Amino acid sequence: MNRSSRLPWTSLKLIVACIYVFMLGPILITAAVAFNQDNRSYFPPRGFSLQWWGAAFGPQWLQPLLFSLELATLAALISAAAGVPLAFAFQRHEFPGKSLVRAITLGPLILPSLVTGIALLQFLSLIGLGRWMGFWALLIGHVVICLPFSVRTVAISLTAMPGNVESAAASLGATPYAVLRHVTLPLAAPGMFAGMIFAFIHSFDDVNLSLFIARPGERPLTVAILGFLDFGFAPTLAAVSIVSMLIPLALVAVFGRFVGIGDFLYQETGNG
Amino acid sequence: MAEPALQLQALSKRFGALTAVDAIDLTVAQGEFVTLLGPSGCGKTTTLNMIAGFLAPDAGSIRLRGKAVEALPPFRRDLGLVFQDYALFPHMTVAENVAFGLRMRHVTRPEITQRVAEALDLVQLSGLGDRRPLQLSGGQRQRVALARALVIRPAMLLLDEPLSNLDLKLREEMRVEISALQRRLGIATVFVTHDQGEALTMSDRIAVMRQGRIEQIGAPNDIYERPATRFVAGFIGTANLIDDADGVIVIRPERLKLSASGEQPLGTRSWPVHVERVIYLGPRLELRLRMADGTLVLAEAVNDGGTAWSAGDAAVAWFRPDDAWVIPGDEADR
Repeated sequence: MNRSSRLPWTSLKLIVACIYVFMLGPILITAAVAFNQDNRSYFPPRGFSLQWWGAAFGPQWLQPLLFSLELATLAALISAAAGVPLAFAFQRHEFPGKSLVRAITLGPLILPSLVTGIALLQFLSLIGLGRWMGFWALLIGHVVICLPFSVRTVAISLTAMPGNVESAAASLGATPYAVLRHVTLPLAAPGMFAGMIFAFIHSFDDVNLSLFIARPGERPLTVAILGFLDFGFAPTLAAVSIVSMLIPLALVAVFGRFVGIGDFLYQETGNG
Repeated sequence: MAEPALQLQALSKRFGALTAVDAIDLTVAQGEFVTLLGPSGCGKTTTLNMIAGFLAPDAGSIRLRGKAVEALPPFRRDLGLVFQDYALFPHMTVAENVAFGLRMRHVTRPEITQRVAEALDLVQLSGLGDRRPLQLSGGQRQRVALARALVIRPAMLLLDEPLSNLDLKLREEMRVEISALQRRLGIATVFVTHDQGEALTMSDRIAVMRQGRIEQIGAPNDIYERPATRFVAGFIGTANLIDDADGVIVIRPERLKLSASGEQPLGTRSWPVHVERVIYLGPRLELRLRMADGTLVLAEAVNDGGTAWSAGDAAVAWFRPDDAWVIPGDEADR
């Protein structure tokens, strides 16, 4: 190989190396900081201690962590329950106002969730439901921003469904309900699960929307972390950050075995 | 039983301004294999979809064993369908695929097991029941689709271009196999294809369709040797179509003979031609001949070591009147 043909390869390797350094470096440093002996964020860590990891699971952090888990689980379930029929409607049926409904449903993908958050805050106050702030308002907001994920993943499943399988089932004597139960839903299930996982992660990681709607005692982990940052970057925070990162990772690792999540990350729907 | 397996009367379907199927009549007898043959867009698949119940006809009637079924949904029509892409259920095993129709009919478990085994045996797939469709070859998927359609003992079998996704050799094997199976079971079958070879080799009767109408219906040799229209003559095989006072003379290339000396049996018709090109096909030679008026005709000669033709040769092309077929003038324009 001559010099000129090696150059692109070398540059590519360099770029990939940079990506890894900037992606993994901060995470590894954060993880290391969490082992400091004193309540100071030295890097490399001075001394060794596990106390900050213990603190990360203390009541101060456990409460927002459980709150986030509960919120993300419900948001994922509700957006899947709403997303499946919506995806069917968008993929299979023509109805008046379809493009409008679809734009509204998928809108939060494009709209900054900050804006969605402010809008929801204003809306709830104006219609006199300000007392819903906290969990219920957060749940509404998270379902809104998670819905596009489940709609799209289910739509991908429906598009990828082999042609004629539903017709074949009908010709074999399956009633429309039996076709749905034995053919359509089982084939759409991977999309539903992938959508739920994406929705869970999206909800769990959200800070933009949650910031406006959370209230003391009812705030997700991300907002709690942000609030704690006012006191500086302590080793506890480093430990909490790592924990909050590992939960979605573990979820993907576990469910990724059953559902080809990559299929849904990289595949495009025709019109979903 | 005198009742035909299938009877279509004045069946029509329009999509907007397009008339996809235009008042066709068709009767399929018990045990008969009828092919709907035509180019894409001729209405053959639309017809099949109406028989299967996936499309509602705009007019006309569909009778299965004498019973009107236009109002019945697909799952009540009791038909065995095989699709072009096989449409196997990817999340089920081969055995589960075949069992599906029986489960939907609430057949008992032991009977399902037995009938699935029989059906897989019928298509020579015994032992593959636990595989998934994705683990099978194209030909095997095709067989599973057949077994799945046949296991429910349907009133009739509908095959929608089932061979077009297979490679050439396998396609020819499956032609023979499907035909043999159909004859053995004596099940009335409607087969949709655009492949004239499949139609000629497999069918009891062929309905040649064009622009939503049945142009001609008849046995393979009727269609090939006595085409009713210019379209049928040109669509099935290769034909020399020569305009004549009576209409159009149809001469198949294999019936057109070539003589170097100009000698020919008594009572034949002939034209002087010159050989424009010889195409070597192995067992046969295709001869492209130019008539004096500029018309190009094709002749096919057996490569039997006789006259060695080459481009530029002058010759006489002749045929026996019995070997030609005349489409009367008023039909010829269609």
